Amino acid sequence: MDHTKGMLGIREFFAIILVTIGTKLTDNTPTGLFNEVGNAAWITIIIMCLVSIIPIYLLTKVITSYENKNLVDIIYHLLGKHIGFFVILLLWLTETYSIVLSSAMYADIIETMYFVRTPILIIYIVLIGVAAYGAKKGIEYIGSAAWITLIGLNIALFVVLILSILQGRINYIFPIFGNGIPEILTEGTTNLSIFGEFLYFGFIVTSLRSINVYKKGIWIGLFYVSIVFMFALIGYVMLFDYVSIGNLNYPFHESIRYIQLGFLTNVESLFLPFWLVASFLRFSFYLYISALLFGALFKIKQFNYLVPSIAILIVFLGLIPEAPVFSLFNLREILVYITAPIFLLLPLVLWIAAKLKGEFKK
Amino acid sequence: MEKMRIRKFFNKLIKEEHPRFEKAASEDDLLKEKQIDSSLANTLEIFKKIYYVPNNSDVSIRNIVIGGINKEAAVLTINSISDTKLIEDLVIRPLLINDDESKEIELLLSPQVRKAHEIEDILKEINSGNTTLFVDGEPNAYIINTGNFQGRSVEKAENEVVVKGPKESFNEQAMTNISLIRKRIRDEKLIVESTTISKRAKNELYLLYIKDIANEEILTNIKSKLNSLNVDSIQNLSVLEEYIEDNIYSIFPTILYTERPDRASEFIEDGFIVLIMDNSPDVLILPATFWSFFHNAEDHYLRFLFGNFIRILRLMALFITLFISAIYIAITNYHVEMIPADLLLAISSTREIVPFPPLVEILMLEIAFELIREGGLRVPKPIGPTIGIVGALILGQAAVQANLVSPLVVIIVALGGLSSFAIGDPNLNYTVRLLRFPFLISAGVFGLYGLTALFTFGLFYMTSIKSFGVPYLAPMTPNDSTSKDTIFRKLLKNEIFRPGYLKPKDIEKKAGE
Repeated sequence: MDHTKGMLGIREFFAIILVTIGTKLTDNTPTGLFNEVGNAAWITIIIMCLVSIIPIYLLTKVITSYENKNLVDIIYHLLGKHIGFFVILLLWLTETYSIVLSSAMYADIIETMYFVRTPILIIYIVLIGVAAYGAKKGIEYIGSAAWITLIGLNIALFVVLILSILQGRINYIFPIFGNGIPEILTEGTTNLSIFGEFLYFGFIVTSLRSINVYKKGIWIGLFYVSIVFMFALIGYVMLFDYVSIGNLNYPFHESIRYIQLGFLTNVESLFLPFWLVASFLRFSFYLYISALLFGALFKIKQFNYLVPSIAILIVFLGLIPEAPVFSLFNLREILVYITAPIFLLLPLVLWIAAKLKGEFKK
Repeated sequence: MEKMRIRKFFNKLIKEEHPRFEKAASEDDLLKEKQIDSSLANTLEIFKKIYYVPNNSDVSIRNIVIGGINKEAAVLTINSISDTKLIEDLVIRPLLINDDESKEIELLLSPQVRKAHEIEDILKEINSGNTTLFVDGEPNAYIINTGNFQGRSVEKAENEVVVKGPKESFNEQAMTNISLIRKRIRDEKLIVESTTISKRAKNELYLLYIKDIANEEILTNIKSKLNSLNVDSIQNLSVLEEYIEDNIYSIFPTILYTERPDRASEFIEDGFIVLIMDNSPDVLILPATFWSFFHNAEDHYLRFLFGNFIRILRLMALFITLFISAIYIAITNYHVEMIPADLLLAISSTREIVPFPPLVEILMLEIAFELIREGGLRVPKPIGPTIGIVGALILGQAAVQANLVSPLVVIIVALGGLSSFAIGDPNLNYTVRLLRFPFLISAGVFGLYGLTALFTFGLFYMTSIKSFGVPYLAPMTPNDSTSKDTIFRKLLKNEIFRPGYLKPKDIEKKAGE
């Protein structure tokens, strides 16, 4: 007798959005932005947020016009069997590629910043193992775990942000447009992949309690994440200035090493657990989506049994790059350039197809 | 599937042939299904055989002749569980002194007399302490309520102590316990349903719920579980708990166990179902969520602020018990830079002379603490204080002086141990105490990384537990807007809804308005 029948409510959905996209500000995503636009990186986030409104709006429009269909069904329905298969394959490949990259990066963060003497293989196995356990359990448990920890994660994040803004220098954020407005605009659109995950939330729409949860959650999520991201970037630049921050691979972790909390001079271990919980949850969600897409490709109903195999695959793929700090950064650039157009175009294509098929009139 | 097959294969490999025992008492079983006939001698013969009368010393059969009608009769009862004076007054005396020839036997006896003719039914009555009267020439027996089991009276709650609020606790008699609950819920919709749950000992179980609140689905779920039990004897609720639990191997308890009638009534009024049994000084409440273990009766008795204050304390105690020693290990082994320099020097100077690594040191002390606690619990009362003194003072002091452990570790383990006492529920208490060890080991192996990994793992597991279909962390997640009594309690006037995760038939606590 489950009251909710394993469906996600708005809180859990919001928590998943925050955990999956919010954690990006703690890896090397900001570094890429700082490299291109200097200290105006935080403005690019606003641009990104504004640009993202279009695809997310179109996607929401398409998804809400169907009931009890998730994005997979909709893609198959609108684009047909063959093109649909191809599109989902593409999505699965980019998604899995991004898990491999980001998990390798997170393992690298843990190794280089905190556990220098622990072999990366072990760190990686623990990271993916815990995430796989959550993904195997199912989306509603990822959501529940995310919601329970969300308050703690947010408090930890805000403490970091407030401390770094208080301990930083306000004049580092000037000149306010950094390398210039044209750079901001181009980077803002090419780096859209930061919000590319919003596409994936369409896949779990049938696990939500109602379509309203999706509609509300996705907008609240987008704006909240953008604001947090923006403040984080401001915080980083105020602490390090734009030249040195381009050389820091993991600005969040450098920040928590830099800031002080009263009599505690080294607080990074205080924030580490919170960041780790968020990372575990993030990869759980990614693994779940990857298994879901793979299941959709090959018509496997109980796709959660795929999670362990995908997890093992990811560990082995993620261990391939040597000198991860550099290689991962470059590999990520490729991903960024692939995902951004998908994120921009796929909703548009779906919307046009739906329009042509006359789905909105119903 | 695969797991099952492998297990079967291994079972086959190691299986030994056990001699099959013949089922005993099959003759008796046949007898039990019969009815008694009108011949007194015959009937008595049957019952003597069933009860092995000359050997069974407290089963008494008294032959009498009923005055007036002049019929032979026999009174069968088990002395040790019935009230002899009552039998004398209600059964034997009225029969003997009767001189009215036309009076019926039923009228001679007390008003609560019943008739029975199936042997099995009669046996059940006799085994409950009631008196049976067989009369020659009648094909049925008269049953008179004279049961009188020995037990203690209603006493103060010992395990769930409160400062403010009622002090009564349940005792081992089901009827007393039901009466304690009925005293609090004067509602005609409060149902006390009884079922027999064991085959041989015929243990009686009472289900208490409010008919127009409790959810039928949960009720049928519980009843089907109870009906599927196939055991000879279930002595009390603590034993029953294991039979009806969903996850027997799980470290988290899923059935709440309380000795406080006020708490039980509160749960019944919210739509939960309560199980009561003889011989159990407590009741089982199901379904149970994590929060019902975390909460305490006193949270709602204390004023709003104070009630929430003790909730915060309890939450802190929970986290301190779980994590303090693990965090100590993690920090001293992996994250030394976190400790302020002065403190670090202090720690290292006290650790200088200790020959063990911190993990071993903490594990030793934790195990010692658990031993002291277990020993202190089992020790006979007169020697109790001695153990306390030896354990706490001498052992700790001596261990420090002998350079076995550092004083800081003693503080940490003692703090963790003390905090664990703030978690009142015995089941959750064990959960937390046991969980400390995996956390310790993970912190020893991977520092804060291992600690967090295990924590997240546990969180995933916890969210996926269900107690009779109710998610373990409801109403926090899956979120439920009806009741918000989780970490903090709300103002009583705002707690107007029954927990929605139970799907009660009547969700609002206030009628009308």
